[in-house]
Amino acid sequence: MRLKTAVALACAAVLVLAGCSRKGSSTRRLAFVTNNASDFWTIARKGTEKADAERADITVEFRLGEGAAAGQKRIVEDLLAKGVDGIAISPVDPANQTAMLDDAAQKTLVFTHDSDAPASKRECYVGTDNVAAGRQAGELLKSVLPQGGRIMLFVGQIDARNAQERLQGIRETIAGTTIEILDVRTDDTDQVRAKANVAETLVAHPDVAALVGLWSYNGPAILNAVRDANKIGQVPIVTFDEEDETLTGVKSGAIAGTVVQQPFEFGYQAMTLMAKVLAGDRSGIPSTRQLFIPTRVLRQNDVDEFRKKLTELRGR
Amino acid sequence: MTNKKDIAIFLLLVVLCAIVTALNPRFLSPANLQNTARLIGAFGIFSMGLGLVIITGGIDLSVGSSFALLGVLLSMMLTEWHLAWPFAVLAIVGLAALLGAVHGLLITRLRLQPFVVTLCGLLVYRGLARFIADDETKGFGDAAGFRTLQRLMTGSFFGAPTPFVAMAIIGVVMGVVLHRSVYGRHLFATGRNEVAARFSGIDVRLVIVSAYVILGVLTGISAIIFAFYTNSISPSSHGSFFELYGIAAAVLGGCSLRGGEGSIVGILLGTTLLQVLQNLVNLLGIPSSLNFAVMGGVILIGVVGDQILQRRAAHISF
Repeated sequence: MRLKTAVALACAAVLVLAGCSRKGSSTRRLAFVTNNASDFWTIARKGTEKADAERADITVEFRLGEGAAAGQKRIVEDLLAKGVDGIAISPVDPANQTAMLDDAAQKTLVFTHDSDAPASKRECYVGTDNVAAGRQAGELLKSVLPQGGRIMLFVGQIDARNAQERLQGIRETIAGTTIEILDVRTDDTDQVRAKANVAETLVAHPDVAALVGLWSYNGPAILNAVRDANKIGQVPIVTFDEEDETLTGVKSGAIAGTVVQQPFEFGYQAMTLMAKVLAGDRSGIPSTRQLFIPTRVLRQNDVDEFRKKLTELRGR
Repeated sequence: MTNKKDIAIFLLLVVLCAIVTALNPRFLSPANLQNTARLIGAFGIFSMGLGLVIITGGIDLSVGSSFALLGVLLSMMLTEWHLAWPFAVLAIVGLAALLGAVHGLLITRLRLQPFVVTLCGLLVYRGLARFIADDETKGFGDAAGFRTLQRLMTGSFFGAPTPFVAMAIIGVVMGVVLHRSVYGRHLFATGRNEVAARFSGIDVRLVIVSAYVILGVLTGISAIIFAFYTNSISPSSHGSFFELYGIAAAVLGGCSLRGGEGSIVGILLGTTLLQVLQNLVNLLGIPSSLNFAVMGGVILIGVVGDQILQRRAAHISF
């Protein structure tokens, strides 16, 4: 009798272990689709991998988009043909991809991440509240410019939703202060132009009070141009995201602070929440259908700790 | 004949500079002249090579993607493999020359069209750059071990930015090669009428391959300058569409896309005009959104004016 029980228990244990390691047939297949290829997504990928490793009920496929709506459409069609159970996507052009997202939503569970398409039938958005991130940048500006002054903003494309929202957040925060936005200069993601825009701003407006970079590469572009003009420490800089050079700039004090997103959480939370929804538990979806992952402000003292974590996440 | 064209674009440039200076005198401030000269140098160097290829009747669309590939490799050579910088520079320029030779051989030996060959290059090099970099932005960190190179690429020489000085030296050499040497005449002859050139004893294939190799070398040099200018190379966007700046500069400078026409002075004036145009957009506070429209508009004015002058000259000579 005892022997029988022991054998039965052993069998059960083997079955459970086998189930864990191979992930049984009830496993849901999820896909995480990005808008382009960058360091940012390397970190998000780690988040999806963590969710994949933690949960026995999902496997995650990670797909890098190519920066164009057509490429994403091809990826989504490919995934639908494979019969995935859920797709989390960062739409490149949300307004014009609504039809594609609605079509996909009829066949499978669709989430948006990083960039939302609120008009579509996506189940939920997981990502940054860019207006709130803009407000954080605005607060940084207020703290470095107590006397006010005229500031210049830099971004790749101003018609991009996240650029608009960050700008809105900054405007809201500095409204009523003596901080005034001179202009927003764009560079169409050409990094040579991005740096030249800053250099030329320093010439055209020698009295510029602060420089703000709305997209990740604008940080290093501003830093390099200001360094070339020997104006480090004279013009406060506020940036977004965590490019290596940006972090070095924050650490050295050349950049007052940078507002960072948490892409790891995009990947982890999106995959985990999708797994729960597919298992019938919808309690994780907020009533607004937007799950915001808060942004953080990094200042001089936060860099070392943040870098350490980042290195771990990037697996370098 | 090319002189007349050069004078026309020079006048256009002078008028433009005068207008900008009147509207914002800071245009002539040392800081602005240095910034602009640095960019003119970086763009001018590869534009001369592109002009040479256009003179032979060819084209190269892969220059921008090459910048990304070469930039990524340069960063990895210096910061990850810790190669001695002179060696890394030679390797980059050598690789760029090799790519040029491959383009040239595919065009002359397999009779493929330059547009097609280099379009494939545009796609392949961009993809390779992204793959090699693992889609991560590459940079130069604190430049430990190659500060000399960094200072050389980003520094100045008696007040003139090194890229501009390099462009001036290369420009003089290229000017002599193109306008004062037998090889230069072979380039023009090949571009004007390849068959006639072959029948008159010119090794047309060698001429064409050599033009692509020269473009490769100059692309390599520009790639190093651009890499240190941005100090970070994001493989998916670095140098994107820069070949179009080179082509535009060559066309503005009097090169015909049908081949057989053009001058080094013209190409450099064209490059200068393009950079001044972008500079004035910022200096005069013209919305960034109009940047490309302004550039396109002025190129159009340039070529239309050129066409009208040519017609008038043709009339007079009749």
